Amino acid sequence: MALTRINIGPVHPSTHGVLRLVVDLDGDTVVDVDTRIGFLHRGVEKLVENRKYMQCPPYMEKLDYAAPLSVDELFVATVEKALGIEVKERAQYIRVVLLELQRIASHLLWLGTTCNDLGQLTTGFMWAFMDRDLVLRLLEEATGSRMFYVNMRLGGLVRDLPAGFDEHANKLLDYLEKRLPRYERFIEKNPVFIERMKGVGILSKEDALDLGVTGQILRASGVDYDVRKDNTYYVYNKLHFSSKHAVSGDNFARYKVRMMEIGESIRLVREALRTMPEGDAVGMPVKLVMPNAKNRISIVSREVPRGEELMYLVADPQSAYRLSIRAPTFINLAALRHIARGCRIADLFAITSTLDFIMADVDR
Amino acid sequence: MNGIDYDGQEFENARKEMDKLVQDSLKGREIKPNVLFAKLSDLSKGVSGKLVNWSRVNSVWPLQFGLACCAMELMDFASSRVDAERKGFLMLRPTPRQADVMVIAGWVTKSMIPEIKRMYEQMAKPRYVIAYGECATCGGPWWESYNIIKGIDQVLPVDVFVAGCPPKPENLFGAMIKLQKKLGGDIEGR
Repeated sequence: MALTRINIGPVHPSTHGVLRLVVDLDGDTVVDVDTRIGFLHRGVEKLVENRKYMQCPPYMEKLDYAAPLSVDELFVATVEKALGIEVKERAQYIRVVLLELQRIASHLLWLGTTCNDLGQLTTGFMWAFMDRDLVLRLLEEATGSRMFYVNMRLGGLVRDLPAGFDEHANKLLDYLEKRLPRYERFIEKNPVFIERMKGVGILSKEDALDLGVTGQILRASGVDYDVRKDNTYYVYNKLHFSSKHAVSGDNFARYKVRMMEIGESIRLVREALRTMPEGDAVGMPVKLVMPNAKNRISIVSREVPRGEELMYLVADPQSAYRLSIRAPTFINLAALRHIARGCRIADLFAITSTLDFIMADVDR
Repeated sequence: MNGIDYDGQEFENARKEMDKLVQDSLKGREIKPNVLFAKLSDLSKGVSGKLVNWSRVNSVWPLQFGLACCAMELMDFASSRVDAERKGFLMLRPTPRQADVMVIAGWVTKSMIPEIKRMYEQMAKPRYVIAYGECATCGGPWWESYNIIKGIDQVLPVDVFVAGCPPKPENLFGAMIKLQKKLGGDIEGR
């Protein structure tokens, strides 16, 4: 039987950036998906080599623009490991607070765009973006910027939390906690959402491990692996949270894991704010010159909102000799071909949106 | 090509026959110009120019076209906080054929230029371009990159530039209002 080959993208409302898919169809069943990437490639790993360490975070933030603070923190942590710098204890708590708030914002963004892809534009998209904006406002209060924060310094942060932050944060978290059941109610009782989510795009546990996917996609397939728990950093081992996982491995499980993670992040931020010690949180000045790098090679991995992101840094005293980034979204996007085989063409974008890739992170 | 024989002469004969039929049917009828109708049409021509322009100014539809980070703020522009629809910037259009203005939100790589050009050509005239953010304006932080075009104005005619990395959604709102003013003739443009 003759196959139909169609082209999707690189500019398509649901490709979350510029991704081109070449899809082979048998009727409306997807036989094969060929992923063409590289439309956003800008050579960030090369650019970093010509810059001093603390000139790099603005470049790093543009990797994952839905969660810039996470990648910023990852890069700074890598440099801290290379130069042998300890992070102040209060700064560790504040970093956890900011990272978890960023995770909430990122997951809300994911929820909004997924609702958009599934035709829930008016309600889901608007609600999620409304709440995301409140989180961004809180982050703006803490860091001074709305989207690209550049708030990390070696050993600490640019500034301590402002006065009254606790109160505002707790108010917002209370609000978000009330909102979550409402999201779940209108999404999980929506027949369109359920049709596209339940039992669609199944990735088994073995395949998930073979493909090397990370983050929520791995956890939705039943592997309970969270870098925050299994390779803990900062004060995550002092805080009480559980890494959420589901077993069905379909779109709905990926959705559910993310929604549960928002709840966990809310709890984490609350606890971190409550148990935060007094003290100094401001890091080293940017113009500091380090005499030499302690570790020539340093590898740091972090649980960014999209999975396990890893940076490999070969350090020179002033700047990176070589920086290599293992982007979680790149690995997760590679699983698309495997997951999408045999699904309907109408379900393809439900799968791509639950894989939740950021093309700037994929292309680098 | 598809097995259809096209006979030019036959077609010509058929057309002549049709003309003759029309002429016959009009025979004996004298068509007088309708004075009232003529005046109305003159009036409508005068009004419609302004009407078309008024409606054009008040329904600038942006294209849903996100390249990179600034697309986040473009989405925020369409969401509830900014509420762009109150000024006629309707929810982002998914196809260039329905859109009036293309917001270049993000850095433009060399491999993306043919696609952007193609989309621009698919948009119905008059069409407008807003360069949103540093990357689309001048290359921004990727100035030294080997794969980035230093500003979309090297490829497309740009109407409004918005600076910032990224600019806030309010800035895009301001840029759209500026574009409206340009359309309405308040600002001199190209």
